Amino acid sequence: MNKYLKYSIVSVLALFFLSGCATRAMVTKADEFPGMYSEKPRSLLIMPPMNESTAADAKDYYATTIEIPLAFHGYYVFPYELTADVLKQQGIYDSELLYTMPLNKFYEYFGADAVLFTKIRKWDTSYMVLASNLTVSIDAEIKSTKTSEVLWKYNGTVVVDLSGGNSGGGLAGLIASAVATAINTAAADYTTYAKKANGRFVGSIPYGYYHPGYMKDQQLQLVDQTPQEQ
Amino acid sequence: MKQSITISLALIILMMSGCAGPKPMYEYGNYSESFYNLKKTGDSEAISQWKTALEESIEMSNAQAIRIPPGVNANLGYLYLKVNDADRAISYFEAEKALYPESTVFMQKLIKKAELMKEGQSKS
Repeated sequence: MNKYLKYSIVSVLALFFLSGCATRAMVTKADEFPGMYSEKPRSLLIMPPMNESTAADAKDYYATTIEIPLAFHGYYVFPYELTADVLKQQGIYDSELLYTMPLNKFYEYFGADAVLFTKIRKWDTSYMVLASNLTVSIDAEIKSTKTSEVLWKYNGTVVVDLSGGNSGGGLAGLIASAVATAINTAAADYTTYAKKANGRFVGSIPYGYYHPGYMKDQQLQLVDQTPQEQ
Repeated sequence: MKQSITISLALIILMMSGCAGPKPMYEYGNYSESFYNLKKTGDSEAISQWKTALEESIEMSNAQAIRIPPGVNANLGYLYLKVNDADRAISYFEAEKALYPESTVFMQKLIKKAELMKEGQSKS
């Protein structure tokens, strides 16, 4: 009896550790982003994306992908083409400078309830010997224009294998797959993958006023992205 | 026998409801593609494509009796403002405001700007 008990405890512990590695903690939207449910922002002003990637043109291109998914999620999204021009006329092109500043000006000027900051972390293709990967990674944050507090934040990352899975043997295979990689990369439209990356974080935002799920998704579960304390 | 009738009835209902389908929340048309081209080239062709995409989004939304997406009216108004057509600009900014009260503060600023433009035009 004792022996069995010992074994079962050991195996339960082993399972526990193993599963701890494989699965990620889940949280509800209400627990993770209480500020969204108390402030109930209806409108979002998209700030010019911050760009940490090596691609200089990523900023303008990425900006064209983010309005639509947020609108479908139920938010009134200010027209970026217009607001970006207005901000530029006010000398605001780099959101980096604004990030730590009080945001109440955006409520006064635009009437925006909240501001969306995005940071392009990766927008590039990395070459390896046989294959190449395309990575688009976006950090996103919604900040209140009343308190300047972060109401929501999440990351969306998409990694695409561009090698086409062709790793035929021999030198001929190697050359063939290198050629295929070059072609695939040239044809790769980053915005397609940026839209997928957007899809990975937009879903974690509590639904906005124009969505039928507005104020009904508090208990929806999502992957906890908060860094765990060691 | 009775059971099979029930099943086939259920199937027919399922298929019929599939045909009707729910209406989409928004119709953006070519908004995304033409916006991307606008950023990429910024030439006059890209601008006219962008304008067409905005107009089509409005037409498609009206045809299905759904809400015009956020910003579409405002973007069109802005295009007219840039070519000094203040009257049309104002009518689109008003449409955005009527559809989305969240935009009131901003649209009011743009309408004022367009009105000032009109005054300037009538004086000269």
